[in-house]
Amino acid sequence: MTNSFPDKEPLLRVDGLSVDYGLKGDPLRAIDGVSFELRTGEAVALVGESGSGKTTTAMAIAGLLSPNARVSGGQVHYRGQRLPIDDDAAMRPHRWSETSVVFQGAMNALNPVHRITKQIAEPCILKLGMTRGEATARAIELLELVGIPADRGVAYPHELSGGMRQRVMIAMALACRPSIIVGDEPTTALDVITQAQILKLLRDLRSQLNLALILITHDLSVVAESCDRVMIMYSGRVVEDGTVAEIFAEPKHPYTKLLIASIPNPANGKKMIRPIPGDPPNLVNRPSGCAFHPRCPSTMSVCTTEVPRLGRFGHGRVACHLHPPLQENMVTVHA
Amino acid sequence: MTENIVKYPPRGRTRAVKRFLGQFLRDRGAQVGLVCLVFFLIVAAMPNMLVGPLQTAINATGDFLAPPSGQHLLGTDEVGRDVLNLIVHGARISLTIALLATVISLVVGSTVGMASGYFGGWVDTWLMRITDFFFVMPSFVLALIITPVVLEVMGRSGYILGFRLSLFVIITVIGMTSWSFVARIVRSQTLSIKERTFIDRARVVGSSNLSIMVRHILPNLVPQIAANGALVVAGAIYIETSLSFLGLGDPLQPSWGTLLSLAQRAGAASAGAWWYLGAPGVCALMVSLSFVLIGNALDDTFNPRRRAIP
Amino acid sequence: MRDSSDILRLENLQVHFPIQGGLFDRMLGRPCGAVRAVDGLDLNVGRGEIVALVGESGSGKSTVGRVITKLSQPTGGRLLFEGRDMTSQRSSSALRSYRHHVQMIFQDAYQALNPRHTTFDIVAEPLRSLRLVDNDAQLSERVSEALAAAGLNPPGDFFARFPHELSGGQRQRVVIAGALAVKPELIVADEPVSMLDVSIRAQILQVLVDLRDRHNMALLFITHDLPLAWLIADRIAVLYLGKLVEIGSADDITFKPRHPYTVALLNATPQIGGAARPGVPALQGEVPSAARLPNGCRFHPRCPLAFDRCKVEEPPAIEVGPHHMSACWLAER
Repeated sequence: MTNSFPDKEPLLRVDGLSVDYGLKGDPLRAIDGVSFELRTGEAVALVGESGSGKTTTAMAIAGLLSPNARVSGGQVHYRGQRLPIDDDAAMRPHRWSETSVVFQGAMNALNPVHRITKQIAEPCILKLGMTRGEATARAIELLELVGIPADRGVAYPHELSGGMRQRVMIAMALACRPSIIVGDEPTTALDVITQAQILKLLRDLRSQLNLALILITHDLSVVAESCDRVMIMYSGRVVEDGTVAEIFAEPKHPYTKLLIASIPNPANGKKMIRPIPGDPPNLVNRPSGCAFHPRCPSTMSVCTTEVPRLGRFGHGRVACHLHPPLQENMVTVHA
Repeated sequence: MTENIVKYPPRGRTRAVKRFLGQFLRDRGAQVGLVCLVFFLIVAAMPNMLVGPLQTAINATGDFLAPPSGQHLLGTDEVGRDVLNLIVHGARISLTIALLATVISLVVGSTVGMASGYFGGWVDTWLMRITDFFFVMPSFVLALIITPVVLEVMGRSGYILGFRLSLFVIITVIGMTSWSFVARIVRSQTLSIKERTFIDRARVVGSSNLSIMVRHILPNLVPQIAANGALVVAGAIYIETSLSFLGLGDPLQPSWGTLLSLAQRAGAASAGAWWYLGAPGVCALMVSLSFVLIGNALDDTFNPRRRAIP
Repeated sequence: MRDSSDILRLENLQVHFPIQGGLFDRMLGRPCGAVRAVDGLDLNVGRGEIVALVGESGSGKSTVGRVITKLSQPTGGRLLFEGRDMTSQRSSSALRSYRHHVQMIFQDAYQALNPRHTTFDIVAEPLRSLRLVDNDAQLSERVSEALAAAGLNPPGDFFARFPHELSGGQRQRVVIAGALAVKPELIVADEPVSMLDVSIRAQILQVLVDLRDRHNMALLFITHDLPLAWLIADRIAVLYLGKLVEIGSADDITFKPRHPYTVALLNATPQIGGAARPGVPALQGEVPSAARLPNGCRFHPRCPLAFDRCKVEEPPAIEVGPHHMSACWLAER
């Protein structure tokens, strides 16, 4: 892994990534030309509703797409090296070692009949070639890292609370010393206080281990305190991308604006409910042009026919005909 | 179209039935199953018109164990009776036994299973003990005890609707010994359906227990009941065979079961008389299979998620 | 003033679930203790009022909803509806008239709808079972009305649809329409938006608020989300381990919380543009089991401000402002 430009090359570079579902008949495009970069230690949030493609994007990068999904376009480079994300067998050595995933339902992702140390040790044995003894020592080390006392390692998943189980999931994700962690709605099933604890743990681990984080969530408010950058996805495309401060202070895309407005925020003292009309689009009949146009308060005629390009705008990127790209260069990084 | 839907009659029974039938009849499996079943029903309805009166050893027309030929399409048995003639006459008895026994079994089994699962507590405990009793009791033994006693008490020769009384004894015995199986499956399914939130909702909107069971639980049980109904039909034909084999059947009114046992006793297998064993066997198999196909089609039709969305 | 117009009162409500012990204990008939899901709860809901019941999982908030809708039977205390004691009312006629007035909206609309029933039958079910209509024409009219009020327009388009043919938001609207069809006076909504996409949530909240504004319907809104409670409710009641720790107007609870637990909840809630809030440090640990409640104040093992008295004596609800009570010894001063 020789890298001539270690500082300029991002940790992860995604170019025009597209994924289709359904191998026979009409494939459904789940994500369409997603491009972004992730730097070492950076935390990016992928925000969107169900069906927006946020999970598909992250799973494609981690090489964990379901069998009926297929990468139909685009490339992913990890430290300048191309990842074979469209080849299941070739992807195997990369899986879980560079990018690992913290799944949403910890109860379903853990095997109920094995003690948690054993489950954390498993990837160490399989991926790092450790002996059982070494792997168990590593598992205990990892448990302490995520804030679980070592003596709890003999517990079974059902003996732990939801928050503890999520910590175990994080420990499992850290087992092979990855440099990117994908959090797939890691706190959605948790209570607010536990959620705050887990988010704090993720923040601490990131600074401790210099981890990059891709946080998948539908909840913009979670993002504010735990990420550097936000990418808003809608119907399989990135519609806006910017730093947290920018997005919250000055959202450009109408969808982002409405999303932010729909979060109850006692801090601004306004008890106003501003519903976004309509339903999220499904993959089968995606609207023409800008997928958001049927629900958008400021639709123009061009929105119904032309897909807006994701162009640079200010420090971030936005795909909206209201904000045409300032200069004509697309954001795709030249290799 | 919109106009039509607006006038969608509340709980429009005729319309719903029409829609249901339309969906059901479009299913390939249902078509095959129904054709097959209707064929056997016709055969059972008019045996005399199709193959003439029932042959006995006295009016047998053929050689002993003659293979199929132009004269005897399905060959003959060990006393020279035409097998086709016997099969056609046996269809009525076999179908009657299978259908009635299955109805008894499904009605009793579903009712007991649903009540047991839905109410729980002591109702469940008691109903399940009774079910267990029937479950472990070999139907044979029960049939062996009940049949002769009942026949003795009521007389062997009574007729109801043209069938001999012993037939109804056999039907009841088969029905009473096969419901426990259905009850157990229905109960376990009811237990899981009962925990679904829509049952809570039904209670909150004021539905009575009976209405919850009939309108919410039962439709969700149809796949299980239909699939098991098909199995019970097959089982009923089989038990009837065994009972006939032990001489509790009626030698004067042959059923497919009696034919199978006669064939075995005549050594049809070792004599190479495949037609004698095969014909009643294939018939029993086809009837069972058509019920399985109809059962599956019913499941598909009742389950809106499996319907093709137009 | 509030007393005379109360539509629902819970007095010292208790729901204790017996713990199933091992085989040995059961054979000896030995009681194994109980999970005290709800443990002495006092709460009232006024006519046309929106009260939010806020708590974490395991706080007993959903159990309260189930008791009010008569899905669970309380083991102690009283449930009064319009002054009538409904606690142990089991006769079907009394229940029917109660259900005419009290309805429920569920968290998971997909689970709450029978997959084999059409939208029409789902919404018509309460009207039929409570015998509120005389003929089919009336039934159609009431169903259309309810669907329209829940925001499904034109209603006729939805009559023949099955739940799986609807989007998530539409399904929740069907559940709401079913509750509305009987024109109830109180609706218990158990986390009605937590399973929905963010962009749909506001639509559903709007429907609920409109109901109150137009039909003076009272709403008990059960949620774990304090900002959401603040947005929709007139009053907020905060529940911890089966007991109210604080109750007051939505603004008082959000901006002038007087119980350390409420403060912790507010602090833990992620907020847009809000940096870390100063004040009480973040809570450690997790909610203890309701089967083994701590002595004294049940929050004291996690409370950053706990002192000796909290460990032995359980604080009563202390008035800290107009209609604002806090069950904390610190509120005494």
